[in-house]
Amino acid sequence: MEASFHVLVLLMYLHCAAGFNNCLKILPDSIDKIYVEVGTDFTATCCLQDDSHHTSDDIEWKLDNISLPKHLYHKINATAVSVTFTVSQDMRGFLTCFTSQKSLSYVNPCMYGIFLEKGYLPSKPKNLSCLALQEGSNFSPNLRCFWNPGNRDTLLNTTYTLHASLDYGFEQSTPTSFQHVCTERLARNCTVNLSTFPVHIGLRVWVTVSDALGSVNSDELLRESFAFAKPNPPDVQVLADVIYSTVMVEWKHHISNIELRYVIRYCQAGSSVWTEVSEESTEISSESFRLQALQPYTLYDVQMRCIVKNHQSYWSDWSRNATNRTAEAKPASKPDLWRIIQSTSDSRNVTLLWKAPVKANGIILRYDLKITMKKDSKFKEVITSVDHDPHRLYQTYSMELSAKTMASIEIIAASSAGVSPKATLVIPLSNQDPSGVERLSWSLRDGQLWVEWMPPVANLLRLSEYLLEWEKVSLDDHQRDKHWQRVKANVNSTTLTGHFEPFKRYNISVYPVYTLQKYTQAGRPVTTAAYTQQGPPLEGPTANITKSKKTSAEVKWTEIPLHRQQGFITNYTIFYKTGNVEKSVTVNSDNRSCVLTNLTSESEYGVHVMASTVAGSRNGTDFNFKTQKYADGEVEVIVVLVCLSFLFITVFIIMLFLRKRETIKQLLWPQVPDPSVSSIAHWSPDFPVKANIPKEDVSVVEVDVFDGKSLCEEDKAVLPLKKDKYMSEEHSSGIGGSSCMSSPRHSVSDSDEGDSGQTTTSTVQYSSVVASGYKGQTPNHQPPVFARSESTQPLLDCEEHPEHLHDSRNSYFRRAKGVELGGLVQEGEESNESSLTFCPMEEMSPIVEDPPTPCYMPQQNSYRPQ
Amino acid sequence: MNVRNMIRLPQRSQAKHRIIFVVLFLTAVESTQPTKQARCENPSCSQHLHRGLKLIKFMNVTTAQLLKTYKASNGDSMDLICDMQMVNVPVSTISGQSISERISSVYTRLKEFLPHLKTVMEQQKDFEPPTNPVAEGLKHLIAYVDLISPIVNCLLQILQPNMPIPEPAERPTGMPPAQNTFQQKAYGCIVLSRLQEFLSKAFHELKSLRGKDNIM
Repeated sequence: MEASFHVLVLLMYLHCAAGFNNCLKILPDSIDKIYVEVGTDFTATCCLQDDSHHTSDDIEWKLDNISLPKHLYHKINATAVSVTFTVSQDMRGFLTCFTSQKSLSYVNPCMYGIFLEKGYLPSKPKNLSCLALQEGSNFSPNLRCFWNPGNRDTLLNTTYTLHASLDYGFEQSTPTSFQHVCTERLARNCTVNLSTFPVHIGLRVWVTVSDALGSVNSDELLRESFAFAKPNPPDVQVLADVIYSTVMVEWKHHISNIELRYVIRYCQAGSSVWTEVSEESTEISSESFRLQALQPYTLYDVQMRCIVKNHQSYWSDWSRNATNRTAEAKPASKPDLWRIIQSTSDSRNVTLLWKAPVKANGIILRYDLKITMKKDSKFKEVITSVDHDPHRLYQTYSMELSAKTMASIEIIAASSAGVSPKATLVIPLSNQDPSGVERLSWSLRDGQLWVEWMPPVANLLRLSEYLLEWEKVSLDDHQRDKHWQRVKANVNSTTLTGHFEPFKRYNISVYPVYTLQKYTQAGRPVTTAAYTQQGPPLEGPTANITKSKKTSAEVKWTEIPLHRQQGFITNYTIFYKTGNVEKSVTVNSDNRSCVLTNLTSESEYGVHVMASTVAGSRNGTDFNFKTQKYADGEVEVIVVLVCLSFLFITVFIIMLFLRKRETIKQLLWPQVPDPSVSSIAHWSPDFPVKANIPKEDVSVVEVDVFDGKSLCEEDKAVLPLKKDKYMSEEHSSGIGGSSCMSSPRHSVSDSDEGDSGQTTTSTVQYSSVVASGYKGQTPNHQPPVFARSESTQPLLDCEEHPEHLHDSRNSYFRRAKGVELGGLVQEGEESNESSLTFCPMEEMSPIVEDPPTPCYMPQQNSYRPQ
Repeated sequence: MNVRNMIRLPQRSQAKHRIIFVVLFLTAVESTQPTKQARCENPSCSQHLHRGLKLIKFMNVTTAQLLKTYKASNGDSMDLICDMQMVNVPVSTISGQSISERISSVYTRLKEFLPHLKTVMEQQKDFEPPTNPVAEGLKHLIAYVDLISPIVNCLLQILQPNMPIPEPAERPTGMPPAQNTFQQKAYGCIVLSRLQEFLSKAFHELKSLRGKDNIM
């Protein structure tokens, strides 16, 4: 390296010494680009020409217009300076050399430059392989080769030359060779045309990669020419054979004069498990092969591929599927028989279900069904045929069976090639099913339902298998499709193989199946519900208020239909809101009602119920209710209290009335003096006083009959007082005019002149004869005193009815000015001016005149003016 | 003693004659079996011979198929036409007494057929589109002749290193003059027929070179 460097420098020096016309020259120089390899050192020499006025000290190097460090310089002599630097990838490559004198000078500066093109040597192609496909009946002369060019770009124009030459195994004076140039950068493949694909001859292939910095060859690929050939797959067809388990495979290969070996593979249509027939099994010259030991009436896909004898070539691709069906055979397995029993009150509706035999080996045409029913030692046999409906998953047959009837069913499937083995089933008497499995549970494994259970309690029957039945819960019970599968008796868990829709509820039942002689019998089922995927309910619960109270309310809701639940309801949440305050209560999924407490009375509440599953929630519709103003019984209590109070008051009043009936009677219906019983009726100056008339003190009471109003008010005011007053028993009788018998005469009271105007027309003046005796007491022997009475009341014929005398006799009263005042006093206005005082009975004078001191006697009876 | 000698003399002369006869016989036999020396028994020769046999067999079958295609594409009367005699077409016979001469004849004959095949191919290109199956087949056949010729040459050099290998003229003098269409079709068919016959014979000639250890 060092020696070559010195040689180069020497050559440059000599070159420089030879002289140039310019004042400067760079070596190496080229009219084209100078290619340099990235990462290597590059040396250039700047030479001063003879006519230059500069020295080597004036020389300066610049790369991409940036001065190179001085330590990279190497002064060769007084007129030449070289520079050595490492070519970097980011170098643009414009290398200049110029001279200038640092001191003031008139010498013109000189400059010279070259352009460096950086790049890499091409990488050696690796993993060379070539391929000649079949075209027509020959292999294509176009040999397509592939290689790995490496990842490094050369940064330069690169050519890939693909060489191919025939190799005879000996030296040839004029070897036959072919080549093709591909100019794509980092080319990975190229195709060379061999004119005619050589046969039975060696072929040598290699790739030469070249750029401006050099070239490199790949490793040579020397093989027999067929080693590069890839034949097309043969045209295959499969012919059905009369033998049910075989098919004939025939093929043709359109390739000239080349011995090929074939491999056949086949599988059932739709399957990806292939069975291969080795190439040794197919004779070279043969173009047919019979596949044996196949399943009857089964579609088979057949493919073939080929290779040049002795594996000289590539394998061809597999041919396209050639499909055909094997011939029919009699069914090899029995139908899968099952039943659905729907019990009613006294009978059972039995639906027999069966699937076609798994190994039908042909088209099932019909099923022959034999049903033997036994009831009370009497047998009845039903034999029927059911046509096979290929569009249905399973066939059905329904029958009625009483609870006390046992049935045994036998069924066979028939095809054109024969009948299947017999499937049997026993339907025992009602409620005599053997024991069922225990602890049934399910889980999800890889999105599929995995069911586990424990074996049933041992009994006398032999457990032969388990039957797992499932159905999708739908709105319409009639649309429920039953599915079932069987597992062996020693298996206690399995995956349900079927299409399970997400968000749909499935009822899974496990039946133990027992063997009883030649019949099978199912035990009691154990059922559970399952989902393959849960989601939020499709609808919320429909709720309402059943009991709304003052501070509580009961919310009830209906269960969401199963087909709308989309999962197991985990809980219900009741949201209730009044104003801006919302509360919620969460209850278990078992609940269908909830009592909301601590509500505000007489308030409007908005309520909705939310149902939740593990996958989400759904709100029900909102509804409103209003709490009551009163609590339960509160109104009743009030009503009762009011009623009781009313009753009490009523009773009290009644009692009061009863006790004070006389008083009230007197108040309401004051007793009218009965003139007929008045002693005056018998009084006449001409008639002596009857001896039988008791001698009583008679006082004449002057009664003024006012208008009702005045009297009423007065009565009201002075009632208490009058009571006592009226309690006194006095006889009174009215004397009008001159005689009691005469017509009443209006008179004006002397003592009541103020009222005279009012009473002139309405007052009847009576004269009362008051006996001196009182209350049966013997009056004093004083002559009766006549008192004049003024009353408008017509005189009653009391004179003609002396029996009433007693009543009227005991009541007497007078109305004086003091009474009226007394009424006022009662109103509290002038109590001091005219107060009333009770007078003792003894002090009462028989003749009532205007006493100096107004007083009342207690009265027992009184009457009101009528 | 004399009697015995008298008797022995003729016995000796008879034995001497017998020895001479055996020597002469063996010499004669040896001289009539030159192929023993020409047997291709070394590995290199066996390899080339093996490749040559496969190639000639392949060419033979290919020529037969091509001839069938040729007849099919040129009319029903081709069978009769192909049996016609035509002097300018190389014969299918292999000449020579020794195996080397016969192999040399094979090589020469291959070279002789080559220009005729090219001529037929050009004629077929004129009859049909250039990519017709016969022309394509002839093109491949010419390439195969080019492939087999060096192999036969190599075998010849191995068998008789010192024997010069005659190279036929590039354009044989026996090429037919200008022909009409019928003559061209007959010419092509005859060339292919004779080539097939020749290849069949050549295969047997090469096969006779095969040593006991070489089993194809």
